Formats: sequence, structure tokens, C-alpha cells
Amino acid sequence: MFDGIDPRSPTPLYEQIASRVRVAVASGQVSAGEALPSVRSLAGELRVNPATVVQAYRELAADGFVEKRHGQGTFIRDLPVMKREEERRRRAIEIARSALAEGARLGLSGEELLDAVANEVRAHEGASTEVPS
Amino acid sequence: MIHAIEFDDVTWRAGNDFSIEKLTLRVPQGSIYGFLGPNGAGKSTTIRLMMGMMKPEGGDIRMLGESVPRALPRVLQRVGYVPERPHLFSRLTVKEAIDVHASFHHRWDALWATELLERLDLRPDQQIRRMSKGQTGKLMMLLALAVRPHLLILDEPTDGLDPVIRRDVMTTVLDYVAETDATIFISSHLVHELERFCDWVGVIDRGALITEVPVQEFKRGIKRLRLLNARGIPANGTPFSLLDRIPANGIRSCEEWVVHGWEGPHRALLEEAGVTVQEVVDLDLEEGFVELLKSVRIQNSREDDR
Repeated sequence: MFDGIDPRSPTPLYEQIASRVRVAVASGQVSAGEALPSVRSLAGELRVNPATVVQAYRELAADGFVEKRHGQGTFIRDLPVMKREEERRRRAIEIARSALAEGARLGLSGEELLDAVANEVRAHEGASTEVPS
Repeated sequence: MIHAIEFDDVTWRAGNDFSIEKLTLRVPQGSIYGFLGPNGAGKSTTIRLMMGMMKPEGGDIRMLGESVPRALPRVLQRVGYVPERPHLFSRLTVKEAIDVHASFHHRWDALWATELLERLDLRPDQQIRRMSKGQTGKLMMLLALAVRPHLLILDEPTDGLDPVIRRDVMTTVLDYVAETDATIFISSHLVHELERFCDWVGVIDRGALITEVPVQEFKRGIKRLRLLNARGIPANGTPFSLLDRIPANGIRSCEEWVVHGWEGPHRALLEEAGVTVQEVVDLDLEEGFVELLKSVRIQNSREDDR
């Protein structure tokens, strides 16, 4: 879940960690009631400051993604479907924004990007529905 | 804020070649503080002053709230120290080195030392002179941690160690921090490594402190800008400081600026002045460190010329 955390990125590490958990929840990779690694073990594994993990978990708790159970650890909460959908939409918007920004740097218009996306989606669907002969 | 280490106007001179001049440091308690500087900047000298190996000619040093070197014996009981070069008797075995150290520290935790032996994969009967650099590095860390220090001072602790051992050693240190909230002061020129876990950074060059800030703040404020039509804009009078300016060459009017203290609204300010901000590029800790150092040196040499 935490592969590729990048200390050199301008995004603070605690935000990167929190974001990985949100994505895992949104994509169904983790489910309600599952425990997150302890602060100590995650900090050791990622070689980050334990305070960074504490901050990430605090952030997730404030957003309602996880809950801290005293003496037991941090657990994924039972997210209502709506909240999960909301997180998925948020992710989609983020991806779209970064594609647009990258496109703008290369002088590509929104239209051109949309066309490309539509084409890719078609190609992808074509490939997955193709019946092997 | 409580500080684990405080330097106030500390001065120390070694002949005419090198001096620490009015050095002021504040290392917040519970922080992991990265002490950066090029070789010969004064990192190890600063640490030797902390450890009471040298007496400052002026100024005050307080460690864990007590004056150094006056209260040194009391302070040292609560400090773990990994020096730049190991100072172990090479004829001793690992076990003997541990026993010697244990006898000097009343806070020594023998159980924890045994656990660390296993975790760091060290053999008690091994002779120190037959150990690799990596194994010696691990033993030094064990000796520093087994006193259950409130403050851990590491002078280039992973310099010259292979990546696997470096990882083991740092994981052990971070594990200790998670458990105890100890303060870590770590001097290194391996900036990328520090970027993973330091929450504070102090930069020293030629015996003087250049900056001391939370790492996030340091990284947030330093940017590389790509600008159009910036030719006429003067370098002074901007709300941020200009560390470097690569002027437009030839017909291309694109300038590159490296700035410190950058904030989002500054973009609008530049655009009002007729400049087009093409791109704002984030720098990582190492790039930021290098740019900052470069500009300080240029500034100093200008002052010297006057």
C-alpha cells in the first residue's frame, strides 16, 4: 500500500501516506475493520519519522477514514458508500487536473486530451471484449 | 518550545584558518534535526563542543537543559553519541566492548543491548579488528542506544556504510524514537537520507549558521521559476529573496530564478509587473541546500571585496 513514498516530492510525507490509505479504501484494497500498521512498524519500514506517521493517521482520523481504538491501534472505519464514491470522484478529478497541467506544458488543448482519452478507452474496451480465436 | 540543545553566540577558534563565530542553535526537544554542511563547514567541531571535548571561547551551551561543560558528567549519562570515527579498542571483542561501555553508564540497559545485538546481527565473540566497517558502525549505534539516551548525537553515522546496513541502522534508530520520543541530532552530507526523516534542518557553512527551519518550510519556500520578460525587473525589492538568476541568453527572453521565501501570491505580483511566470518548479532538499549555499558564498565574497 505504501510503495514508492517519495521524500523528495514537494508533497509532505504525511500527506503521501494518508493519501495511500485513502486510495486503498476507495479502491476496495482494504476494508472496514482492518488494522493499519502500528506507527512504530510503519515508520521503521518506510524509514520515516514516527511523528510523520502519527500526523498521517491523525489526518485520516479527522477525515473519518480511520479510528483510533485505545491501546489496540488504528482501524479502517466502515465508510458509507457515499463517502467512498466521493473519494473516487476526487481521485478522478486529481488525475484529470494533472493530465491537463502536463498537457498545457506541452501545448495540448483539453479537446485533444479528451479525444485521446476517449480513443484509449475504446481501444481498451475493444481489447478486453475481444474473443480469443 | 523546549530545546534539547541550545547554543548562544558560541565562538571557538582554531588558529587563523577556521573558526566558529557566534553560533546560535536551537534543537527542539523530540525533533529529528538534520545538521547539514559541506565538508569542513564545522559540523564535527560543533558536535565536539556539544560533547564537551572542547571548551568554547565565548557563548553558552546548554544540553538537555544543563550548562555544558559544567554539568557534563550528568548530561553525558543521558546522551548517546556516535562519533565520526569509531574509538574502540580493536583488540576487544564485541561483548568486551559492551561490558566496558556498560560500566561507564548507570543508565545502561543490558537487556536492550542483548536485543540490539541480535537485531543488528552482531556476534558477541567477534574481535573488533576483524569486523567490517558496516559491523563496526552497527556496534557504535548499539553502544549509543543501549544507554537509553534522551538525546542521540550522530556524526555522519552512515557515511561509508552500504545501503542495506544503512537501512538497518536507521530503522533501529527510528524504532527507538517511536518508543521514547528521544531527540536526534544527526550530522550528514547524505541529504537524501535526511529528507526521509528529519523534521528540522540546520545548515552551516564556514563556521556560521545559514538557516535553521522545519524541513517542510525549507522545501516549501525554495523554488525555481521560469520567467518571460523579466529582464528589467530588479533583484531587490521583491518580497522573496533571489538566490540565483540565470539571465536570458540571446533572443530567448526566458530567465531562470531560484528564490527563497516564495509564496503562492507572489506569482500575481510578478505578473502585475509584466512578467509571465511560465513555471514554478519545486526543489528537493538537496537542490535547495546547494542553491542556498551557493548564494551565501557569492554574497560573502562580495562583502569581502568591499
